[in-house]
Amino acid sequence: MSPSADTALPPPERDALAGEYVLGLIEGTELAAAEHRHERDRDFAASVEAWRGHLAAIDATATPVTPPADLWSRIEAGVAGVVASAAAAPAAMSRAAPAVRSRFSDWWDSLFVWRGAAFAGALASLLLAIGLFGALDRAKRQPVMVAVLLTDASVAAAVVHTFADGRVEMLPLQSINVPEGKALEIWTLWDRAVGPRSVGLIDSARTTPLRLDNLPLGKDQLFEITLEPATGSPTGRPTGPIIAKGTTSQRL
Amino acid sequence: MATGAAPPRGMGEIEQALLACASGDKSALRRIYDAESPRMLGVAQRLLKRRALAEEAVQDAFVLIWRHAARFDPERGSGLTWIYAILRNRSLSILRDERRTETSDTPIAEEMASEEDDPETVMSKLSDASALRACLETLPPQRRSLVLLAFVQGLTHGEIAGRLKMPMGTVKSWIRRSLISLKECLG
Repeated sequence: MSPSADTALPPPERDALAGEYVLGLIEGTELAAAEHRHERDRDFAASVEAWRGHLAAIDATATPVTPPADLWSRIEAGVAGVVASAAAAPAAMSRAAPAVRSRFSDWWDSLFVWRGAAFAGALASLLLAIGLFGALDRAKRQPVMVAVLLTDASVAAAVVHTFADGRVEMLPLQSINVPEGKALEIWTLWDRAVGPRSVGLIDSARTTPLRLDNLPLGKDQLFEITLEPATGSPTGRPTGPIIAKGTTSQRL
Repeated sequence: MATGAAPPRGMGEIEQALLACASGDKSALRRIYDAESPRMLGVAQRLLKRRALAEEAVQDAFVLIWRHAARFDPERGSGLTWIYAILRNRSLSILRDERRTETSDTPIAEEMASEEDDPETVMSKLSDASALRACLETLPPQRRSLVLLAFVQGLTHGEIAGRLKMPMGTVKSWIRRSLISLKECLG
């Protein structure tokens, strides 16, 4: 069902694939192949454009919503960040627009990955919690909560510890490859209505204190690491690929 | 655009504004915002249900439009489809990321499943003159609704299968065949 992106498809299959791609129904490796095809295969790209043009009629039926007064200023702030980081790293501008999708897509590639991540996460949390608690007991530095951050391959990449005195720190468990001009940004999410907040920016995987300051901190709070421009995310929200993520659990 | 026919190629206002964005003219981004943001917010709201998420999607979309304006090629498609493709991709990734990180909350898909999102309601709002409507009408209602659920609510194959209590393979093949029929009809 997923022939090489470089072979031409018969028109009905090409158009069905283009339609599925535009609807957002293609996932995982097939999505990567479709994006590749969109870049290379002009007939496929033309079919994608035709579907987008036709389906725009459906978007036109959505009831318009007046944007809040501050939305434009939020956009301007995001754009200002882009201008600053673009000046620093013009090479980053060469990404193609269709690749925007792929930067976020890896995360929902596969249910199996996520089931695997859930099981592996539970197991890793348990093993790490046992190991960490033993060691930390002896060190008299007992974290109140621990989050194990897993990669999408279910590898524990880092842990986040929170302490009773309000300190929060992240300890890497794996070396993380950070390309030139990029940095690792650490985020926390406690309320989806508020959205993720940046709590740290580091140039390489190393133990680092996280700045939660007055942000809330509780159980099941999400921490994640994304790859961002060296100056941090231009939008104030995670934009790059997620390196690892996990939620806090209370120490027993 | 509103007719659903492929928009004419050429340099309309949006295309010119995108080229100006590529050369660093921020007022061009503002022109796109003034012209399109209410509808973009409406589209994002229909996919994401929650206002805060819809605003986030539109905000991110404009930053991405600005960042990638230089990659817009008027030879390959219209400015509006390019902009709405960015908005849709960003909305879908927020939608699916939210569903993944959801713990005990009501899943977004079930929250405020308003009549406005209902496939037949959307059908009735499509312009009579649109080629898409005429062609959707040639499909059996149930198959048509699968395509509309995927587009309007951003559901995946698996979510549609769960919602309609149908086997995943059937959902996939019905959508596939519906798309092939639609394409034949749309030409």
